[in-house]
Amino acid sequence: MENSKSQIIKVMSAVFEVPIESITETSSVDSIESWDSVKHLNLILALEEEFNISIPDEEVGNLMNYKLIEMIVNECRK
Amino acid sequence: METLKYSEILQQNQLLKGIQKGAPYKISVLSNVTINSIKEIVEYSLRTNHINPSITLGNYDNIIQDSAKQTDADLVIVFFDMLNIVDSVAAFFENLNDEQYSNLKDKVCSEIDMILENLKHCPSVVFNTFSSAYFISNYSHKSKIETFVSELNRHLDERKSINVSLLNIDKIFSKIGIKQAIDYRMYNSSKAPYTLSFLKNYTAAVEPIIFRNTGRLKKAVIFDCDNTLWKGIIGEDGMDKIDMSGSSHAGHFYNKVQQIAVYLSRQGVIVGICSKNNEQDVNDVLLGHPDIILKDEYISIKKINWNDKAANLTAIASELNIGLDSIVFIDDSAFEINLIKEQLPEIVSLQVPSAIYEYPDFLLENIYRHFNFTLNSEDAKKTEIYKQQSERESDKKNHKSIDEYLSSLSISLTVSKDDLAQVSRIAQLTQKTNQFNLTTKRYTENQILNMMNSSTEHVFAVSVKDKFGDNGLTAVCIIKTDLQNKNVYCIDTFLMSCRIIGRNIEFVFMDYIMSWLNVKSPAAIVTAEYMPTNKNEQVQNFYISNGFTLMNEKEGTKAYSLELSKYQPKNITYIRTSFQGGKN
Repeated sequence: MENSKSQIIKVMSAVFEVPIESITETSSVDSIESWDSVKHLNLILALEEEFNISIPDEEVGNLMNYKLIEMIVNECRK
Repeated sequence: METLKYSEILQQNQLLKGIQKGAPYKISVLSNVTINSIKEIVEYSLRTNHINPSITLGNYDNIIQDSAKQTDADLVIVFFDMLNIVDSVAAFFENLNDEQYSNLKDKVCSEIDMILENLKHCPSVVFNTFSSAYFISNYSHKSKIETFVSELNRHLDERKSINVSLLNIDKIFSKIGIKQAIDYRMYNSSKAPYTLSFLKNYTAAVEPIIFRNTGRLKKAVIFDCDNTLWKGIIGEDGMDKIDMSGSSHAGHFYNKVQQIAVYLSRQGVIVGICSKNNEQDVNDVLLGHPDIILKDEYISIKKINWNDKAANLTAIASELNIGLDSIVFIDDSAFEINLIKEQLPEIVSLQVPSAIYEYPDFLLENIYRHFNFTLNSEDAKKTEIYKQQSERESDKKNHKSIDEYLSSLSISLTVSKDDLAQVSRIAQLTQKTNQFNLTTKRYTENQILNMMNSSTEHVFAVSVKDKFGDNGLTAVCIIKTDLQNKNVYCIDTFLMSCRIIGRNIEFVFMDYIMSWLNVKSPAAIVTAEYMPTNKNEQVQNFYISNGFTLMNEKEGTKAYSLELSKYQPKNITYIRTSFQGGKN
């Protein structure tokens, strides 16, 4: 799943408008300043399009850090 | 753009940020739903088309309040979505009784009226039509909600003023499917109904309106011949083997493409040919092939030779007196398309799809993106006008001096002022004229209309005729009175279509304007400006040659002034001028 890691980081970097290098496994809503509710919506849409998945409604609000995003994305891709 | 992923759009958009200079094109998006994701997509679209965007999103469900605040937007986009209108009704829509139904209709109609009233001075408004596509309905029975939507759309259509373009979102829904267009999950959680796919398609649908408003529409479509206008190679297969028959398996796609080309020509688009062939071979087909649809009479220009296509397309642009960025080029060869993309990137180059059944639709899609078909009578005459132009060019060689030549043309001008019947053509000229245009200010129909109705602004237009034919309305001058000093008149706009350049018409027109001002206010001061663009270099000394004095120069913009009493008319005798129509 290394592949999904770099793809997720690419998407997060594009949505939050921060350099790719600044996003790590510990990145979260607390460490990325531009991560607001509008950007969060854009993040969900971008991830779904990127991986051709549909993130369940109840998970949308949970994806608040890199680790959880990776977990849910991989879950949805199974 | 529809094929680009959102993350890639965001990434590219970041990279393009700040590259486009110049005054930003200001767009306001007003909506009764959440639509934030549209911002970057529209920004990206504009930036790739060399427009510097500035996009503001209104507050959620605040269309009426926000519409009252629009003072400086170049374009306002209104998403007044049925989803949220229906949600505002507690009851199941089909259960509404007649009174509830008509109350709701009156409420929404009066809201539409208020929005239109608030936006009536905006240069351009895109108002989405109302749709019932979201709502489950019986296939054979018209539901209450469907009736409601058609009544709203009728109301909208009746009330809209000329600055409003209605964008039919049902067409996008039927193109991509409602399930691909609407995300009920996000609507439920964030009132954000539109998918990325919808927003990308929507942006593509708005593009032609923005291109029109910013003077970026194309003017000519140039076709290759072999395997582009017909199947086969005329030089090898010969007249009876090439195929463009409406009834053959492969030929009918080419037949359709030729019909599209004829349609374009009738709409005033310049249709031309650029082909590596023996000229005689191609002319034989155009004049004599039994299945030919795109006959010679529809074609304004032909370059059929063995020179490279970049040189030929450059020659076409210069002979037609249009910019390379006004041209769309279609060819089946990847080699030629890549050559043009590399050497003349301003040209939009399209390669005929390898799946031939996609070809006509592919062509149409690109055409609708780059051309604007609000047909007016000028456009329909264009093919003829460009043909006359080349006749005039060859006639030029038979005359000794240019003055002798010009006087032999029997040119006559008809000047009109504030003629409401000309609003559409005048707006179009301000949007499309690049070369002989002193200030390159783009105006919408609504702005022209407001100027015509104003007592301090005067819109002059000139129609030009000569012995070869009628060039139609081809020159515009807008004069504004200085509001601080009633004795000062400013030439806001002075432009001429490229098809009448080189005939001293500009001097006759200037004489006319000055004599009109002289009657009004003989002691007036006239001010004028030259604002440089990539294309209007040829007029940089226009005001000097009319006796104006350069007052100052700032970032290339030159400001001029002239005491009206000192103006020396050119008194060109071989051009006749008359005044007709409008108010004087």
